[in-house]
Amino acid sequence: MRRIPWTLLVFAAAFAIPWLGSRFYTFIATDVAILALFALSLNLLLGYTGLVSFGHAAYFGIGAYTSAIFMKTLGLPFWLGFPAAGVAAGLFALVFGCFCVRLTKIYFAMLTLAFAQIVWAICFKWNAVTGGEQGMPNVPYPDLDWIGAIPGLDGFRVGDRFYFLTLVLVALAIVALRRIVHSPFGRVLAVIRENPERAEFIGIDVRRYQLAAFAVAGVFAGLAGALFGIFNRGVFPDFAYWTKSAEVLIMTILGGMGHFWGPAVGAAALTILNLQITAYTQYWPLILGTILIVLLFAFPGGLVGTSVDLFRRVRRGRDAGRP
Amino acid sequence: MKRSASLSLAAAVAVAVPLAAPAANTIKVGYPMILSGPGALFGEPSLKGAQMYVDEVNAKGGVLGKKIQLIGRDTKGNADEAVRVVRDMILRDDVQFVVGTLTSAEGPAVSPIAKENKIVFIAPITKTDQLTAPENLHPYVFRSASTTTIEGRSAAEIMAKWGVKRVGTMSPDYAYGQDATKAFVEHLKRIKPDVEIVDQQWPKLGEADYTPFINAQMGKKPDAVFSSLWGGHFVTFAKQAVPLGYFKSLNHNFVGAGEAGSIESAKAMGPDYPVGIWSNTYDVFDWPAGPPAHKEYIARLKTYTKQEFPSSWPITGYISMQFLVEGIRKANSTDSDKVAKALLDLTIDTPIGKQTMRAKDHQANRGQFWGQMKMDPKYPFAVMDKLTYIDPAPFMD
Repeated sequence: MRRIPWTLLVFAAAFAIPWLGSRFYTFIATDVAILALFALSLNLLLGYTGLVSFGHAAYFGIGAYTSAIFMKTLGLPFWLGFPAAGVAAGLFALVFGCFCVRLTKIYFAMLTLAFAQIVWAICFKWNAVTGGEQGMPNVPYPDLDWIGAIPGLDGFRVGDRFYFLTLVLVALAIVALRRIVHSPFGRVLAVIRENPERAEFIGIDVRRYQLAAFAVAGVFAGLAGALFGIFNRGVFPDFAYWTKSAEVLIMTILGGMGHFWGPAVGAAALTILNLQITAYTQYWPLILGTILIVLLFAFPGGLVGTSVDLFRRVRRGRDAGRP
Repeated sequence: MKRSASLSLAAAVAVAVPLAAPAANTIKVGYPMILSGPGALFGEPSLKGAQMYVDEVNAKGGVLGKKIQLIGRDTKGNADEAVRVVRDMILRDDVQFVVGTLTSAEGPAVSPIAKENKIVFIAPITKTDQLTAPENLHPYVFRSASTTTIEGRSAAEIMAKWGVKRVGTMSPDYAYGQDATKAFVEHLKRIKPDVEIVDQQWPKLGEADYTPFINAQMGKKPDAVFSSLWGGHFVTFAKQAVPLGYFKSLNHNFVGAGEAGSIESAKAMGPDYPVGIWSNTYDVFDWPAGPPAHKEYIARLKTYTKQEFPSSWPITGYISMQFLVEGIRKANSTDSDKVAKALLDLTIDTPIGKQTMRAKDHQANRGQFWGQMKMDPKYPFAVMDKLTYIDPAPFMD
């Protein structure tokens, strides 16, 4: 089988979207890119370590608020606010994770949810810093003039320029995530997912590894949050609300958590479906529920898992026919 | 990995299909509004009022020979979703104007989107002063709603006539409640310097048990109380306050801002309404002293909504759309920059009288109806007595 560099092709195709000239396509593409990173960060826990987090939006929200406070309240540049968002989200994930990894299964999930609700409540109530219920509208765009100075990229609108920046940052973050899951550290996480008791027996400090995975996932969620806050032109307490956690969980499961790119595909599918359907009806939750039921019963591997299976079966069938 | 890549490509192509070509002979107006959840009680009728006005204009041939198409979308009462919906409408539906949003979180969140896309945005309901405060004002944001300043000061004007000395406040602890209460207290102290603020209670928004706040306030023995508990929050509060003898202890010297006197609140409480208190509303279905235009408007509204006692909220949508259409007419163009300029100091004839969009702060001189609530044997709910429309023009600055 010839090896086609699909990832590069997709990146190139994504990079070309602003040339289509539609602000709407750029808008969707930015949304998808950011949410893909968010979903991929969750999959480090869900698919690779086997930890079900119901509160992943907390770190997304912390990242968004951190960068908004840096850029709007303090007037600092993006290249300080963006890493700070990752650091802050990672630190919070480390602290909350310390408590969460002491529990297992449903208790772990409930505790992540509890911490996320605390984060949400703080964002909702702390008027002086987070703007309370009204959030922080009008987060400034980073300085993007330098992108216009790059030959070939001049003449684009600010939204397109921000998309270029987002795409490159998200791509770098995804490369980093991929290296992490394929590193020895990532392999240990897979061992823990498959059999925590056995991992314990062979001398792996399971809790410490789980905590590390939790913190790393938090960092990437925070980075996604920082980008989303700017893209959304405002940061609101709902970023950390449990529905956001559920949304990213659905994206991951929809795309397929058994596959590295599954959550990214899930993010794209869910975002596009949502946009298309809410334009026609208010009953989006009803449709989403139906899709989920069909998915869980008919395609437990998610979109990617199912299509990979199908692809293999077709190929095996074809190979079987050969002499 | 390979499959996923081609899948995402396929998904990207799928988006491309439903892009509709913009019709040249319609003016598209986006109307983001709460259409689900508890806020829909106010959002739905507001959209209906806007639609009614649009239908009336279209029936007369539209504006500049173009029909208006109103696109209502649900914001679910949250700012994040409001921003999302508005950007979607601008980018995909090609709406040329945005009128809408309800809460004090939604309005200020949508305003920067209007600025970026150079699209005129008129807020029909959002009251927070921050929306058109000097640091947030830009050429494209306008408000046909009242403001927290207007509302607080109107209440102070009413209370100043009572000859009370010891005043308390009871307001929800968030932007709207704080802003309205601050405006009330400052204005009352200015026009009646001998008044003393003896107690301020700040229950959280959506509080379920007001008893501790009610008891604490009664302990301070105020002569009169100002409250900005709005909509359903007032209903919850009043139901708990009546049995505790709260309103009696105040001799019913209570001003409930936040549309506590609207037909929606009155219907929700029925015979339990604490009659005798003062309150406000955006509209009343029976305004005996009102101009003929208001009576005609109510008659049309009754037919349009098929309600015997129509809601008090359609007027918010009606007037905001009226400002937009008159602005387009005056500009003789649908160009956003020209319409934005035409709206400055534009005076229009609305069902509740003349309204002017002030050039200096893009704010209409929008007052509200105030009155004392009483039972009328004609209706199964409380209605307003001593009904007055308070024109805020003298005390807006």
